[in-house]
Amino acid sequence: MRNKDVSFWLFLSPVLAALGLVVLIPLIVGVFYSFTDWNGLGFSQFIGLDHYARLLGDERFLSSLWFTIQFAFVTVIVLNVMGLGLALLVTQKLKSSNLLRTIFFMPNLIGGLILGFIWQFIFISVFGDLSGILGIEGLNGWLTTSTTGFWGLVILTSWQLAGYIMIIYIAYLQSIPEELLEAAKVDGANPFQRFRSVTFPLVAPAFTVSMFLTLSTAFKIYDQNLSLTNGGPFNSTEMVAMNIVYTAFSSNEMAYGQAKAVIFFLFVAVIAVTQVYYNKKKEVDM
Amino acid sequence: MKKRMSVLAGVSLSSAVLLSACGGNEESGASENGSSNSSSSEDTVTIEIFQGKVEFRDQFLELAERYQEENPDVQIEFSAVGGGSDYFTSLRSRFSSGDEPDVFSLAGPSELEDYVDYVEDLSDMEVTEAALEGTLDGITQDETVYGIPFNQEGYGFIYNKAVFEEAGVDAESIQSYADLEEAVQTLDEQKEELGIEGVFALPGAEAWVMGNHLANVYLQGEFNGDVMEAYESPSVSFEEGDQFQQMLDLQQEYSIQPVLNMDYSQQVEQYFSLGSAAVIQQGDWIYPTLQQMDPEFADNNVGIMSIPLEGEEGKVPVGVPNYWVINKNSDAEVVEASKDFFNWMYTSEEGIEVVQELLNFIPAHENFDPEAIASSLSRDIYEKSLEGETIGWAFLGYPTAWGDDLGAYTQEYMAGEREWQEVEEAAIAEWEERRQ
Repeated sequence: MRNKDVSFWLFLSPVLAALGLVVLIPLIVGVFYSFTDWNGLGFSQFIGLDHYARLLGDERFLSSLWFTIQFAFVTVIVLNVMGLGLALLVTQKLKSSNLLRTIFFMPNLIGGLILGFIWQFIFISVFGDLSGILGIEGLNGWLTTSTTGFWGLVILTSWQLAGYIMIIYIAYLQSIPEELLEAAKVDGANPFQRFRSVTFPLVAPAFTVSMFLTLSTAFKIYDQNLSLTNGGPFNSTEMVAMNIVYTAFSSNEMAYGQAKAVIFFLFVAVIAVTQVYYNKKKEVDM
Repeated sequence: MKKRMSVLAGVSLSSAVLLSACGGNEESGASENGSSNSSSSEDTVTIEIFQGKVEFRDQFLELAERYQEENPDVQIEFSAVGGGSDYFTSLRSRFSSGDEPDVFSLAGPSELEDYVDYVEDLSDMEVTEAALEGTLDGITQDETVYGIPFNQEGYGFIYNKAVFEEAGVDAESIQSYADLEEAVQTLDEQKEELGIEGVFALPGAEAWVMGNHLANVYLQGEFNGDVMEAYESPSVSFEEGDQFQQMLDLQQEYSIQPVLNMDYSQQVEQYFSLGSAAVIQQGDWIYPTLQQMDPEFADNNVGIMSIPLEGEEGKVPVGVPNYWVINKNSDAEVVEASKDFFNWMYTSEEGIEVVQELLNFIPAHENFDPEAIASSLSRDIYEKSLEGETIGWAFLGYPTAWGDDLGAYTQEYMAGEREWQEVEEAAIAEWEERRQ
C-alpha cells in the first residue's frame, strides 16, 4: 500500500513519539508500579496482586465507585436529553438562534474548578436566601446531605457540558437533507412523527459520539467534584478519580492508588467500548 | 527524488521534535552548570529553597535579600508551592525526577520517615540549641535532629471582644466546660441585640477542624502531648471521648446553620470577620486574613481563649507546623551556606529583628521579643508558650490521613447518621489498621 512506505511512518513519528511519551509509557509504568510497594520515591519489592485483592474489600473505594456509576448514569441521560433539546431549539428558524447557541455553549468555556465554586455559592448562599424568602425548606442546606450533593454535581455537570453536546447534535441535525423531511411532510407525518421516524434515526451517529463523550467525562470528573463538594459530607460524594488522588497523595499510598487507577481505567474502557459497539450497530445509513 | 525528499523531511521533523524535547533538559542542565561554574569562579554559592507556604513568599524573598546584602557570596533562590498536599506532591516529583532542592520543608514525623535518607543531621547547629523545648520533637529520629522549626502555631476559641463585652461576658474567666456553656447560653439569649447570627461558626465541611484540631485537645493526653509518642502508638483509646463529643455538640448546636456545608473561608471571612459569629475554633494563622478584611478589628478586637479540657484548663495547643530541612546530597559548600543562613535567621540579633519585622509568626526559638509580634493572637500564644501553658499537637503524629477519616466520621455524627460510640470504634479500628 502506498500509505505504508517509510515516509508515512516518519511523518507520523512525532505524534507517535508524543503519544508514547505521555500516554503509552506512563500507562505501562503505572501498571508495573501497581504490582510493587512504590511510594513515589522508590520501591523495595514486588507484592504481586496484593493491592488488587485489597481493593475488593475497600469500602470507601467501592462506595465511590457506586456513586460514580449512579452519577454517570443520570448525567449521561440528562446531558443527552438536554443537548438534543437545545440543539432542536436552536436549529428552528429563530432570530435569536445564533445568540442562543453562544449562550448555551458558554459554560463550557469556563473551567470546572471555577464553575464548582460558582455553583457552591449558588447552592449554599443563593439557595439559602431563596429558601428564606420563598419559605421552601427544601432549598436550605444544599450540599449538606449526600442526596443534595449528588444532584448538585449533576446540575453543575449538565449545565457545563450540555452546550458542548448541543454542538455535536446541531452538526448532525443540519446534515439531514431537507427533502427527506419534506417528503415525510407531504406524506402527512406530523412534527412528532417526523422527529421520531426521520430525524431521530438519522442523528443516531451523534448519539454514539455524544454518549461516548458524556460517559467517559462523567466517569472521570474530578475538578468539579473537588471544588463543589470536595467529597463532603463525610466522603459520601467522593468519586473514583478523587478517591484515587486521595489514596495516592493524602494517604501516601502511591502504588495502591495506581492499582485503583488501573482498575478504573479498565472499567471505563470496557463500558465505553461496549457502548460504542452497541450504538454503532443501531446506526442507519442514508 | 520526491520520495527521498519526504523521507528527509520526515526525519528532520521527528528528530526536531525529539531533539527539542531533550534539548530542554540539556539546556537547563547547562545553565545550572554554568551558574555554578561561574559562581564558583566568583566564590558565590546558590541555595535553592523550596517550601509550601505561599503566604510568606514575599516576606521571605525580602528576608533573603537582606541576608544577601551582608553576604554577597550567597545567592538564595526561593520558590513556593501552595498549601498542603500540593506541596508534597511537587516535592515528591522533584525528588523522583532528580531535580532536588537544597533546602525544603517537612511537616512532621511521617514525612521525615520518607525523606530521612535525604536530609542532613542538624543536631550540632547553633539554631538547634536555641529552639524552644519540645519544638524539635517532631523532626527528631533516634536522638538525631534533622530540622529547624519554622515557627509555632496555636489554636483555640478566637472570640470577638466587642460582642463579649456588650453581652457582659468575661472571656478571661472562662476556664471549664461549664463556664463556656454558660457564656455561650448568655450570648445566645442576646443574639438579636448583639447582632450575631450564631454564637459559633463551625465549619463542618472542613474535616481537619474536627478531626485534627478539636480531636487533638482530647487525644493528646493519651500520648502525653508528645508527637512522637502518638506517632509510635499502635492504638488510640478516646479516654476523653465524652468531652470531645460534648464540645462538638455544643459548637454544632449554637453554630450558624447549616453546619455541614460551611467551609473555612465562610467561617473566618464571611461570619467571624464581619461580626456574625462571636466565637470560632481556629488558630493564629487567621490573623493576616482578618487584617485584610478589617485591620482595626484584627488588631484590637480579637482574643483567644483555650478549649476547655478537664485538668488542663487554660492551656492552648501549640505546635510546629513546618520544619526546614537541608538536603545532604547537595554540595558540601551549599549545605554549609544553608546552615549559616538559618543560624543567622533564627539566632543572630539582626536576623531575629528582620524575622520579627517581616514574618508575623510565633517564634519557636528563644531570644525573640514577645512585644515585637504584631499579631495580638500570636503574641498571646507566644506568652502562653513561654509560661508553659500549652498542650501538644499530637495530631501531627496521627497515622497518615487518619485525621481526615475521623473528621468524616464526626461529620456523619453531626448529620445524625452515626452514633458517637461508632465514631470512636471506627476511628480506633482505622488507627490500628494503619499502624500494622
